[in-house]
Amino acid sequence: MILVDAITIKDFRGIRDLTLTFKGKNFAVCGPNGTGKSGVVDALEFALTGNVSRLSGEGKGEVSLKQHGPHVDFRNNPDKARVSVTLTIPSLGKTVTVERSAKTPNQAQVTPSTPDVLALLARVAAHPEIVLSRRELIRYVLATPGDRAREVQALLHLDRVENVRVGLQKIANSAERQLPALVAAVKAASENLLRALAITELTAEKLLAAANVQRAILGLPALTEVTATTSLKDGLGAPTVAKPQSIPKAQALADLKAARDALDELAAPALATLVAELTTDISNLAADGAGTTGVAVENFYATGLSLIEAEACPLCDTAWDVAELRAKLQAKLDGLKEFSRQRKLIERKISPLNATLARVRASLETLARHAALATPPLQLTAVTEFATACQAGSMQLNALLPLLDTIAVLGRVRTEPPEMRDAIAALEVVVTALPEPGKQDSARDYLTLAQERLETWREARRKHKASSEQAVRARKISDTYVATSDTVLIGLYAEVQKDFAALYRFINKNDENAFTAKLVPSIGKLGFDVDFYGRGFFPPGAYHSEGHQDGMGLCLYLALMRHLQGPNFTFAVLDDVLMSVDTGHRREVCALLKQEFPHTQFIVTTHDPVWLRHMKTVGLLGGKNGVQFRKWSVEHGPAEWHDRDVWTEIDEYLQQNDVRSAAALLRHFLEYTGGELCHRLRVPVEYRYDGQYQLGELLPPAVAQLRKLYKNAKEIANGWNQKETVAALAEREAAFALAAQTSQVEQWQVNVAVHFNAWENLKKEDFVPVVKAYQALLSAFTCPKCNEYMHVSPDRETPESLRCDCGQTTINLKKKT
Amino acid sequence: MSGPTPVPKATDVPAQVFEQFLADLAKAEVSAEVVARLRKTLMEDQLFTDAALKQAIFGEEPGS
Repeated sequence: MILVDAITIKDFRGIRDLTLTFKGKNFAVCGPNGTGKSGVVDALEFALTGNVSRLSGEGKGEVSLKQHGPHVDFRNNPDKARVSVTLTIPSLGKTVTVERSAKTPNQAQVTPSTPDVLALLARVAAHPEIVLSRRELIRYVLATPGDRAREVQALLHLDRVENVRVGLQKIANSAERQLPALVAAVKAASENLLRALAITELTAEKLLAAANVQRAILGLPALTEVTATTSLKDGLGAPTVAKPQSIPKAQALADLKAARDALDELAAPALATLVAELTTDISNLAADGAGTTGVAVENFYATGLSLIEAEACPLCDTAWDVAELRAKLQAKLDGLKEFSRQRKLIERKISPLNATLARVRASLETLARHAALATPPLQLTAVTEFATACQAGSMQLNALLPLLDTIAVLGRVRTEPPEMRDAIAALEVVVTALPEPGKQDSARDYLTLAQERLETWREARRKHKASSEQAVRARKISDTYVATSDTVLIGLYAEVQKDFAALYRFINKNDENAFTAKLVPSIGKLGFDVDFYGRGFFPPGAYHSEGHQDGMGLCLYLALMRHLQGPNFTFAVLDDVLMSVDTGHRREVCALLKQEFPHTQFIVTTHDPVWLRHMKTVGLLGGKNGVQFRKWSVEHGPAEWHDRDVWTEIDEYLQQNDVRSAAALLRHFLEYTGGELCHRLRVPVEYRYDGQYQLGELLPPAVAQLRKLYKNAKEIANGWNQKETVAALAEREAAFALAAQTSQVEQWQVNVAVHFNAWENLKKEDFVPVVKAYQALLSAFTCPKCNEYMHVSPDRETPESLRCDCGQTTINLKKKT
Repeated sequence: MSGPTPVPKATDVPAQVFEQFLADLAKAEVSAEVVARLRKTLMEDQLFTDAALKQAIFGEEPGS
């Protein structure tokens, strides 16, 4: 996707002013801890994404990019903190610069800012995982399956997949939850209709037979079929003012009986037991410490999750990374799973109580309608109030929350108002006292009421049918999604698992060449077990060493990135990710990066100079593609090991008559350079396990080695009868010998006068010649043209030449055979 | 591992899941109208809220 050519960092994090030139190649930033390496990583991430993950996200407290991204001296002037990168975009054939300031992190100045460039940079910004630190690497390996799933989900942008899964499931559940109430409504409407028709079974034949008897009384033609629009009273005129609608006596008596039956069902011991059980269950849920708010909080989180659209909390508008906020809420929801389970059990248990309440309510409302037709109309206040209470109670039971309100409903829902039965009895008296209607009036009442209830039943059925279809559709969509996403993800994980194991075998081929691994996804979890020397599969942290775990983390990251970005995986920053990999495997890690990811530019930070050597010798890094930070100060930021910087700095110390500081810097620089020369010239040095070499252990052997190389080269040139070469080499040898002699470095061990400890006691005028002598000595190790230190080539096996990077110096070391 | 592993295609996992999901929905006899609405929501508008999904599944149907 991108290659980074250069970065310029000004007053950002711990860096004051630094430019690094990567030229789109692999690059290493090396230096002891605290020298500013991470500042470079932060700057790269900031320039490319507008964020610094080290300063954001979980556990970062009051640290923020805007306040703490700028250098500490510019914390109140974030606009001064600027990072600019020059990028090559191979797919567009363009070179682009991106500059951001900590004042407006999300507003990058892009040149050229063409739509294709901006679209590509937006894709880069959406992949903060291009920066991998050891902390993140270990999260893939040693995390619990749930945490690992979240990490990998974030890396693969699976939060969207998961959000849709949760959303579809919620919609399906919600659609299904509506059905029991609708079923109860249909049943109640059906019972009402049956009573009106005075039949026991609702079939088309029985309905037609019953209706046609009444129609015949009224001289209306018989109905021959029942369709969705059939009217039982078809042909019947509307009631006249002179003869208003009256209580249909027979049906009213049946409705009175039905109402009493429904009330008796509500008062029955079976329902009393159910209500008692529900009260206990819900009280237990409410009494649980976490459960008091658990279910309410579950709803809160679920609602919040569905409302996250912008990069802010939907409740308090605090700025958040969307994915991170979603993951946080989902994690909280996962923690409430036990409450979800209990809630579902209670909801199932509530269902029969709700059905009874629906029946009571429907039958009481029917009585109220009859009462309204009485002359004078009867006010069944207690009846209508109890019907309303049944409806409200039913709604509360469905909602379940607040739990205490539901408990209160359970406590009163079966309690009839004392005057209700009396009111029903009063209605019964009125109905019973009604004269028996004439056949025609009775038939008219019958058809009118039956039609009214038929329409109610039809409407209830229509609603139920529509909701059922919606529920079936929503469930089918949700189930299909779960199956599809599982299949796709299992396939993806299988590929990643295979790639991961192959990468890990690459770096451990000497001792784990049969290594395999298992990535096992399940809902909300991602199991990760690795083979341990054929003894079985175990979590990575069970038996493997820390170094091996680091290797696994890197390999899993690389496998995931390769599958996530494919050919677009062209850039990654590895921030000290392999600090505990043992030396036996470092070379292989370097070879892995070079061989398996030849089109990916890696920016690697390390505090270990040995790593840097491995990266160079394996060819992961070119000769100049690295920087060595030697120290850091708040005033100046990181300082590099540049010859020019060092000699200037020493001179500045001497100008201030600070011989002590000048001497310390010269010693550190010579130790660093001594190591560099020993590596380049393949100098045999007494091995130290801790890698802590003193100047006397490095520079004198390096001098001796170059003397030896010149001597050998002369002999070889003589063997080839190359007189001019011999003469030129003799000249070099003499010049080098003079430089070495002037510096007295070879007397280091025996002559305390040249030892560092004595330097700091020298006067300025005595120390200046020492500095000059060492500057001349180091210059004698370099090519006069490119000014780089010479090196023996190849870096292993039989030496063939002593050469420089530019090719100007090439001294043959191969004997004539 | 004798040579570089072939580089796989870039995997936009959510897009891959959604595309396959929509294809599977068609096979599961979910109406083309609903599939089209879900495609617009997931692939074009990239809306993943419950409200957006519900609108895609039920459209303007009453009771939805």
